[in-house]
Order: sequence, then C-alpha cells, then structure tokens
Amino acid sequence: MAKGLWVTIYTMVRTIFRPGKYLATINYPLVKETPVPRARGVIALDQEACTVCMLCARNCPDWCIYIEGHKEEKPPDKPGGRVKVRNTLDRFDIDYALCMYCGICVEVCPFDALFWSPEYEYSEVKMGAMLHDMDRLQDWLETVPPDPELEK
Amino acid sequence: MVVDRDLVRHLSESSVSVELQTEEMTLNIGPQHPSTHGVLRLVARVDGERAFDVQPVIGYMHRGYEKLSEVRTYPQITTLINRIDWVAGYANEIPFVVAAEKLLGLEVPERAQYIRLILTEMARISSHLIFMASYPLELGAATPLFFALRERERVLDLLEGVTGGRFHPNFNRIGGVKPAYGSGSSTRKVIQDLPAGFLAETREAMDRVLEAVEELELLVADNEIILARTKGIGVLPVDVAASYGVSGPNLRASGVPFDLRKVEDYLPYHLFDFEIPTGENGDCWDRWYVRLLEIRQSVRIIQQAIDGIPSGPLQAKVPKIIKVPKGETYVRAENPKGEMGYYLVSNGNQGPYRLKIRSASFSNISILPWILEGVLVPDIIAIMGSLDFVLGDVDR
Repeated sequence: MAKGLWVTIYTMVRTIFRPGKYLATINYPLVKETPVPRARGVIALDQEACTVCMLCARNCPDWCIYIEGHKEEKPPDKPGGRVKVRNTLDRFDIDYALCMYCGICVEVCPFDALFWSPEYEYSEVKMGAMLHDMDRLQDWLETVPPDPELEK
Repeated sequence: MVVDRDLVRHLSESSVSVELQTEEMTLNIGPQHPSTHGVLRLVARVDGERAFDVQPVIGYMHRGYEKLSEVRTYPQITTLINRIDWVAGYANEIPFVVAAEKLLGLEVPERAQYIRLILTEMARISSHLIFMASYPLELGAATPLFFALRERERVLDLLEGVTGGRFHPNFNRIGGVKPAYGSGSSTRKVIQDLPAGFLAETREAMDRVLEAVEELELLVADNEIILARTKGIGVLPVDVAASYGVSGPNLRASGVPFDLRKVEDYLPYHLFDFEIPTGENGDCWDRWYVRLLEIRQSVRIIQQAIDGIPSGPLQAKVPKIIKVPKGETYVRAENPKGEMGYYLVSNGNQGPYRLKIRSASFSNISILPWILEGVLVPDIIAIMGSLDFVLGDVDR
C-alpha cells in the first residue's frame, strides 16, 4: 500500500511542478490542441471556383447545403464575339446544425470549390447562427492546411 | 481476542424462520441510468433484493436507419451506418460496402483491403478498451478507466489521422477506401492514402496497448472484489446463448470458438495467424477476460498486417453514379460486439430497395429477461455491463 501511495504522490507532485512534460490532458481554453490535417472540422468554400452546379447540394445526405445562383452575361471580348454566360453564386449556406460531417460534398465537387479545414471553434449560443453564409465559408479557406505527406 | 468459532458458524448458518410478508415492487432502472450505455429502460419486479422478472424497454434511440436507407444513395448510406454502433464506427461500414461490392461484382485492391483490416482491428481495440474501462467502473473501480482510456485515445488519434474522424470515420467507399478528391480546376489532387509515419506510429501504439492490457490484467484480475462480483455471476450456457442468437465475445465466453473472421471471407483474415480466445464458464468474469485476450489477438493481426501491407491502388474502377444490379445478398462480419450483418435487396437503382440491419447488440440484450431472472439487484448492473451493448446498436 505504501508503494501505491508513493506512486500517487510522486506522480501528483511531478505533474504539478512540470505540467508541460507530464500532463496527460490539455488545458483546453488556454492551450489549444492541434488537430490532424485531415480532421473534418469545417468546410471552406472557394467562391471563385464554384460554378453553381448543385452537385454538393444534391449529394448531401441531409440536404443542409442551400445554393442559389443566377446567370451573368459578360460582354464579348472582341466585337462580334459570343456573349459569355457565367454562373454566379447568390447564396451558399451550410447549416452546421444539420451537417453530418461526412465529406461527400467535398468529394463530389468537380471544380475544387470545397475543402475541409480542421478548425473547430465555431460553436454558437443560438442554433440559427450555425448557418454559415458564403462569406463566412470563404473566410475558412485560409485555415485549410497543406495536404499531409503519404506513406510510400 | 478469542473468537468463539462455534458461535460464528452458528450465526452465519442461522436463517430467519419467520416468513416475512414482503410486497413485490416495480423498480425502473433507466432510461438514463449511467450503467446502461445509452437510453435503456429496465422494468424490474423485485422482492426485496431479488429481481424475479426484468423486462428491457428499448426504442428510445430508434432513428429509423433501415427506412432512411431506402431513400438514400449507396455512398450516402455509409454516413448513416457509422452511427449504428458509435463505439466502433469503422467496423460497421465494412459489411455494408462488402455487400454492395458483392452485388456489383467488384474486386477490391489488396492495399485497400489491408487498410480496411488494420482500421477494423483498431476499432475493435478501441471498443474493447472502452469495455475494459467502463465495466470495472460499473462495479465501482475507477482506476482501470484511466489506464484504458489513455491507450484508447492513442488508437483513436491514429484512426483520426487516417480517416479524419474519431468516431464517424466514413472512410470506406464502394470499391475501396476513400478515393482522391480534387483535381478539378485548381489541379489540387488530394490522395487519401495513409499519412506518412502511420505504420511506425501504429506499431508503437500497439506495443503501448499491450503494456496497458498487461497493467489492466494485473489491476483487475487480482482484485478480490471484482472477482467476487463477477465469478459465477450471470452464467450463460451455450444452448441458451445459441437459441437467443447471442454472438461475438459473449458467445465465445461461454466456450464456443465461433468467430466470423475465421468463417467468412469479407476481409483477408485467412492470411494472418491468430487464435480465438474462449472462456470456460460463460460468467461475467469470462466475458471480461475474453475481450482482454481478444485485444491481444487484434494487436497480433495488426502487427502482421503492417509488416505485409502491399502497395498499389486504393480504389477499384467504379462509375461516378453507382447503380447496384438487381439482386439480394447477406454479408455478415465480426464486429466488436458480435455478428453484424446487412441484408441488401437491390432493384437496380441508386439506392437499395431494402436494407435489413442485423446488429449484434440487439440479439445480445434479448437474453436479458432470461439471464436476469432471480438475480440480486446489484448483479443486474454487473450482468448487464458484461454483455457490452451500445444502445445505438440495439435500436438503429
């Protein structure tokens, strides 16, 4: 019993005095954990790349992506040329209160407009605030990490 | 002090000769009891300390996955079935994707099969470690919890590094594991192979798991109180277990060496050398100990798989829109909790016509009214905990 007690006291004392080395847990709000690069934290949107093809919205298992867009006509570069039509986003919302974090939207996107970011600090007091609009999703793009190196 | 031996014996052998007129009482355990691993309600009719009729009431966690699957496409369903048994989410996906591949007639690349196998065994280890942790806690010992959860966290971190999710990996795709995404306009192609250093870290983590299992065995197997509360309690004979459809470690604890990893060929288990640990008596203690031995076997499988993992593609040729041809099949797999099977009926569409999910925990808790008949109230918790069920797996 004395041996067990000694282990307890020894471990406690060393954790108190050298927390950086011996602490097994992370003191969360003060110290932040670095998630793995592949962690599915939040979805980032590249507005420039999106062509409003709606593939992500249609493939979402619980339909939490809301997209609206319109066609914009660009005048031809040279006189007599064709009028270019470009699809432009009006609305791209992801409701993170509904999202199941499966990543199907990121996978099906044929134009690389969606990316996973491992950021996780976006909890809200009100449920409605979990609906991120396209500007907020664009801001997440900065947090997308480079791809991890692969095994062989 | 001199103890009067005769007197002591006399006191211990004496019994109350007057028949007490005790009233029977209905005791509700749950739906939110900490030992029920979810929302399970037990309606126990007790007479004093003895329960003579216990009926489980299930359905609080019912999410209708079988019905939901009928209106989802095949890639979307893996998202749902992750959440059936959330303690080992990765292992749930395997039988479903294998069933779909069987109907499609796909040959999965070898490397993808090895990755599936390694991650499934890691899911088994994490699931068994949480049982190693929570079962002594239910009996009143808090220390094993920290020993086991520390190692489980290491295993889950590795799983997260590969799949991106700790609990809901959603890593399997029909025809292999997660394919590359990207390579559209930005020419950014992200290949979802194992991240660098994964194999070395896994090997290290497996050594740590073995050490932790050793520690756990010392800590729990020598404990007088735990032995007294589990040895000979809740004995499950083989014939009863078989008639109720009990599977997995609960069945093996009763002495039946039945393991679907040896019987079926959903993953290349025949290439590896491992044993099926069995118990002798089928009591609570055997159910705990069999799972401890199974962790060691899983570590053995992972170590062999790491040494022999081939290189190659991760994904077979699969069309973008997957339409599974007409037909029906049943694929079962050895999940940490027992036999998990999917009966898949397809009529040629993008989604299944019917998906029947046979989950291990549902059959395992159907034994509760039989096994809890006439036990003491504290033993209800001991027996229920030893069956190791998850309510998400019971109710789907």
